[in-house]
Amino acid sequence: MVRQKGEFQIRWRTDLPYKWAIGKLAVKYFEELKKRKIMGSKCPKCGKMYMPPRGVCADCFVEMTVNDMAELSRRGILEGFTVVNYPFVDPNTGAMRPFPYGYIICKLDGADTYLMHFCDETDHNKFKIGQRVEVVFCDELPKDHESYRPELKGDIYDIPFIKLLKDQEK
Amino acid sequence: MSEDKKVFKGRINVPYKHTAGAYVEKFLTEIGKNRKIMGVKCPKCSKVIVPPKMICFECFEKMEEWVEVGNQGTVKGFTVITHKTDVMPLEPPFAYGIIRLDGADVDIVHIIKESDPKKLKAGMRVEASFYAKPRKRILDIEYFKPI
Amino acid sequence: MDHFEGINFSELWTGIDACGFYLKPIVKIATGGTTGSSLGICGYYNIASGIYDKVMVVGWEKLNEGGATTGIITAFDPVWERPSLAGALGPLALMANIYASKYGVERSMKAAADVVVKNRSNAANNEFAHLQMPNITTDFVMSSQMISYPLRLHDCCPQSEGACAVIYANENEAKKITDNPAWFKGVSTAHYYTFGTDEKMYNLPTATIASKKIYKKLGIKDPVKDLDVAEIYEPTSWAELAWCEALGFCDFGQYAKLLDDGVTQMSGELPVNPSGGVLSTNPIGATALVRFAEAAIQVMGRGGKRQVPDVEVAMGMGFGGSLWTELCILGKDPKPLR
Ligand SMILES: [Zn+2]
Ligand SMILES: [Zn+2]
Repeated sequence: MVRQKGEFQIRWRTDLPYKWAIGKLAVKYFEELKKRKIMGSKCPKCGKMYMPPRGVCADCFVEMTVNDMAELSRRGILEGFTVVNYPFVDPNTGAMRPFPYGYIICKLDGADTYLMHFCDETDHNKFKIGQRVEVVFCDELPKDHESYRPELKGDIYDIPFIKLLKDQEK
Repeated sequence: MSEDKKVFKGRINVPYKHTAGAYVEKFLTEIGKNRKIMGVKCPKCSKVIVPPKMICFECFEKMEEWVEVGNQGTVKGFTVITHKTDVMPLEPPFAYGIIRLDGADVDIVHIIKESDPKKLKAGMRVEASFYAKPRKRILDIEYFKPI
Repeated sequence: MDHFEGINFSELWTGIDACGFYLKPIVKIATGGTTGSSLGICGYYNIASGIYDKVMVVGWEKLNEGGATTGIITAFDPVWERPSLAGALGPLALMANIYASKYGVERSMKAAADVVVKNRSNAANNEFAHLQMPNITTDFVMSSQMISYPLRLHDCCPQSEGACAVIYANENEAKKITDNPAWFKGVSTAHYYTFGTDEKMYNLPTATIASKKIYKKLGIKDPVKDLDVAEIYEPTSWAELAWCEALGFCDFGQYAKLLDDGVTQMSGELPVNPSGGVLSTNPIGATALVRFAEAAIQVMGRGGKRQVPDVEVAMGMGFGGSLWTELCILGKDPKPLR
């Protein structure tokens, strides 16, 4: 694995644009998100509530449609956390992903699946599994915050991260 | 519903390295320094392979005899690119040709600097035009021009 | 794999330039981390089905040429997962964190470091292992840089360059090649759903599903007793804790005890990862095939300094993709296990 000195290498950058059809349920999700609603999809057979919403329940192989979508709480429970503290190129931008950043798995109230997302806390001592968390919308941030936007646009940046709730907010 | 909402537009943007090996390095160095296009000859089937590879794909023999092929060649087929996408090496229109260099036994695909399909035909002769400041890339042969 | 090196026709380069298979059938298989075990299982299918007499299976990776984390992100859902995903280590850190909170942070951290010391000590007996750290200690591991809490630098696998080739043959052809082949007893695969977080996954449910299936088929009641060696796919030290529990080597939360008792050490009842494991070498497209190959090497008695004595039955494991598991069990005797 040690590189031989003077070994001839070509360097290049792949930069491919792509389009990704997100599906009817995700379209509905983002429409509702603009109204500050977080929607999951519920399997009509087993009742499992999926977040993110998707078209098929894997357990039952039953189709879910936009009619099976229902609103979830913007609050939930912290199930796991880490603080990403290593450098890497983010293929979404081609630049280094800024680090360290908090990265959590949580379960929104009403959902049966889990959500992985950014968290604004970067000290691993501040997290406690089982504590309450809350989705943050971009228009609720201070105006000088890098993720602030004056209004919701119905895209993934509407929820820039999830925050830890302090004890009294339970 | 607008197309915008149904489709997520993203990019995959990743830097890469590729260890091209000693044969490619020699090939590109000869082009850059000496304006020579070099191939290798199979000791078993005597085919001359350009760009050079270490192993003859038919005989599985190691090829070590370097031979110069001509800077001129014959077009065996061509197409003219007129539509534009985000990932083109050049501004269209331009042509791609399958070119058999004089003395080679395989073809290479490269750019032909002639975008009028009427002026292109199979069997026509072309000559390599070299990039002024070589960078050890295959585009150090900038393009082939009709003779 | 395509997205790690940014190339697409690699099957021709490996198949023709490196192997001389001009005009022979060549198939590329890429299933992420499980690529090597998918290759290993498809090699078995090709022979067992009678379609081919002899097959060569090759796995490879050159992670120096791209970046594992960057490439892995491109494999996931563009809308929901790519923006925040930090390759494999971020989710593996979340899983370790859940494991620690369930079974005790201090004890789990120490056990994880013990795994690193065990595997990297084994690697010192394997000339093909990437990381050679014969004098590694738990203190050294536990004081290395925090990469993604609770994972420290030495809790993580390296990014390696490497390849692995395995020859498969049917009964007649095998006799011509060697007097001492490793025989396939069975394979098992469990793939999960698209989104990795539908379950918490810290205890790798697919490993439980796949292993129960193959144990039942082969009549294995207690894997620690019935297997002689296991090569598992542990991208992190914590993964070995959780994966071995999922494979039924002990109850959930009990792998630390297995380590304390020396069961999975080279001299124990079921040595785990005599090759040094993924913690010592990780060329991703080859990694799971290396696990299968090591199982074969151990059965064939060709392990040299890392040979476990008297191996009759060995298991190899692949892990990857959306937390998938693939297993093979190999034996010395061509007759069925029981
Ligand atoms: Zn269902
Ligand atoms: Zn030849």
